[in-house]
Amino acid sequence: MIGEERVQEIRDLAAPLAGTRVLHINATAFGGGVAELLGSLVPLMNDAGLRAGWQVMNGSEEFFQVTKTMHNALQGMLIDWTPHMREVWLHNNLLNAQLFDEDYDFVIVHDPQPAAILGFIAELRHRHPGGYWLWRCHIDLTHAQVQVWDTLRPHLEGYDGAIFTLADYVKEDLGGPRTFVVPPAIDPLSPKNAELPGDVQQGILSRYGIDPAKPLLVQVSRFDPWKDPLGVIEVYRAIKREMPDLHLVLIASMAHDDPEGWAWYERTVRRAGDDYDIHILSNLNGVGNVEVNAFQRAADVVIQKSVREGFGLVVSEALWKGRPVVAGNVGGIPLQIVNGKTGYLVNTVEECAQRVLSLLRGPEKAREMGRAGREFVRDNFLITRYLRDYLRIFREMRGIKPPRGGSAATAIQVLD
Amino acid sequence: MYGTLAIAPRSIRDLAPVVGEEELAELARLARPLRGLRILNLSITAFGTGVAELLSASVPLMTDLGLDCQWQVVRTGEQFAPVNRAMYMALGGRQATWSREMADVWQRYNAMNADLLTKDFDVVVVHDPQPAGIRSFVDERRRAATRWVMHCHLDISSAREDVWLVLRQHVEPYDAIIFEAESFAPSDVRAHGIEVIRPAIDPAGPRNMDLSPEAVASMTERYGIDTARPLLCQLSPLDESCDPMGAIDVYDLAREAVPDLQLLLVATVVPEEPLARASFDEVARRAMDYSGVFVLSGLNEVGNVEMNAFQRAADVILQKDLRRGFGLWVSDALWKERPVVAAPRTGLLEQIIDGETGFLAESTEDFSRRVVALLRDRSLDARLGAGGRRHVRENLLITRYLSDYLRLLGRLTGTSG
Repeated sequence: MIGEERVQEIRDLAAPLAGTRVLHINATAFGGGVAELLGSLVPLMNDAGLRAGWQVMNGSEEFFQVTKTMHNALQGMLIDWTPHMREVWLHNNLLNAQLFDEDYDFVIVHDPQPAAILGFIAELRHRHPGGYWLWRCHIDLTHAQVQVWDTLRPHLEGYDGAIFTLADYVKEDLGGPRTFVVPPAIDPLSPKNAELPGDVQQGILSRYGIDPAKPLLVQVSRFDPWKDPLGVIEVYRAIKREMPDLHLVLIASMAHDDPEGWAWYERTVRRAGDDYDIHILSNLNGVGNVEVNAFQRAADVVIQKSVREGFGLVVSEALWKGRPVVAGNVGGIPLQIVNGKTGYLVNTVEECAQRVLSLLRGPEKAREMGRAGREFVRDNFLITRYLRDYLRIFREMRGIKPPRGGSAATAIQVLD
Repeated sequence: MYGTLAIAPRSIRDLAPVVGEEELAELARLARPLRGLRILNLSITAFGTGVAELLSASVPLMTDLGLDCQWQVVRTGEQFAPVNRAMYMALGGRQATWSREMADVWQRYNAMNADLLTKDFDVVVVHDPQPAGIRSFVDERRRAATRWVMHCHLDISSAREDVWLVLRQHVEPYDAIIFEAESFAPSDVRAHGIEVIRPAIDPAGPRNMDLSPEAVASMTERYGIDTARPLLCQLSPLDESCDPMGAIDVYDLAREAVPDLQLLLVATVVPEEPLARASFDEVARRAMDYSGVFVLSGLNEVGNVEMNAFQRAADVILQKDLRRGFGLWVSDALWKERPVVAAPRTGLLEQIIDGETGFLAESTEDFSRRVVALLRDRSLDARLGAGGRRHVRENLLITRYLSDYLRLLGRLTGTSG
């Protein structure tokens, strides 16, 4: 999938790290992008000759409630952060620290939930537990609520390194660890991205009433103001006037306990009205990874009309499937779309409609963009590049020189 | 006006290859005198429940048969959500807090929704008890001009007394109350008509559509399951009501005879509340002790097509227990000609005829014995598989459900042939 040259590059990077003991710690084995990522990354690290493991921290029911709140607050939601919540978080981290009795060369602690473990281990042992400890932050801390960040920050200062998703996410006031930037990546073999047998693809489309002969637009995103589903419907309507057989599929993952998501879902449904050519689907209709995969592949153009975005990895998923993507010029999207080459970056409904229409009318150009997009993702946003970045960080920490030759695509940035 | 749902049109003809011309002709005959009949289905949610699945399959087919069939969703609010939840739990005989104030909220929301009924319908079908108070608050003229049906998809036979008392005065005046099984009705319910209409599966839906063996293998192997080794599968809610821990016990015991056995547990509902989440985590943690046990759920974004593939990939389907409801996912498995070993519970007894469409078992030992026998004798698989598919075709397909409904509507409106 990535070619011999890239494989060799990984082997060269990994050679001096053979047998290195690596541990990943996170809060849950199920659900969420982090668990998905580790499920792919850990076996790859082992395959590259390292001895990598993955442990899930223990925690009470209350702890997981608290860390969910904490997570939301760090992403900018305003919450009432009480001393009791802080206590629950710390106490569960202490219990996990007491269980930690092995030695590793590298320990990667993912996200805030288990971040205080290192401090407690050091306290219990009266010294740093040895090896390099890296804190991997998968969330956008730009708008973090101050009290919650102030709770977290002192527990991060003992780390040897901190890894962020985008340079913009790095917290200026985090003293101590060396900072790195590693963008996320997709696993080409996961159910969301793997090639689909033709009968599955056809079957799914026809069961949801999509005629593959008609032009199709797809957006996969939450229903919230930042992903602008109403704007997508406007784009669709503008083009529909020119192309009456156009279809639109909007797919969201809904949580029962997300009232805001539901309110936006309802607004979206109401905007769609009784236009049966707009299909609004979600996990609650039984739409899962394979269905999303099929709809993305069937799309003539994939839209991601975000007005605010984290990394927006769904763009890479679509590019990998060879689809041209028209997307908002925000967050991590410009890193994935080379404007005019792998897709278009847009700022308004009008601009979006105009670009989408031009792609629908120029299938040759659309195909060419799709091909370029797939190549771009192959070089920059596959899990193998992610592995490479980790290997580079490990070498960097240990002071091993980069191998000769090097790679054209260097996604990792060392910021200090 | 309630929240309307845009449902893509659908043709009943699409089912002809599955059920045959004769059955379609019979449906057309039943529907003829009902052409243009205005029916409103009211439900609490638009998806994510068995009710929503049944409605999204049946409403467009009813429309195609010539009835003027609509589906709308009642208006709810932040205050109503916990009341709805508590009522649902209490009617199922489970632990819930219920108070005078909650009963008031329930009545108030039903009254508000009654005001939204501004169009005339010949028949209003209210799905599940939570919105069933609406009828009492509709103005008298409209109430008298409409036939009222409450279709209860829950087993409320062990409902909490105080909650049932609140509900009963509102539902007993209905023209008909439908239950999914006779035993799901409270023993003291009095009504003009008690009907039993079993739920049904949609053979053309994404959970049952045909998949090639290659597609099944590729979707299954991606989760690390070895398709060359025997596989057990239980696809159900993974809380104590379906005993997923018991399924692991069965696997553990059967493994002594079939060492390379694997078990796949798939949660049909995403465990969202703390309690459901806790029991799911417990199952997931125990599964980690076995390299051959896999646990998946909507949290892995497993959708209908993958559930379809998993059932097809399985050598034997388990249903270790079922304390609530009908367990319709077992019919999905029977339709795919998979042999099923299930506990003898109400809904399952409608689907599993012991020795004919599957096996009934109670203890871990019984379950394990049946599983091992099925894995060793493939001719048994074939016989049960064929029996299961036949049983579903005759009793548990959406066409049978439509015909039950058309007959009931004919009787209620005095228009049956």
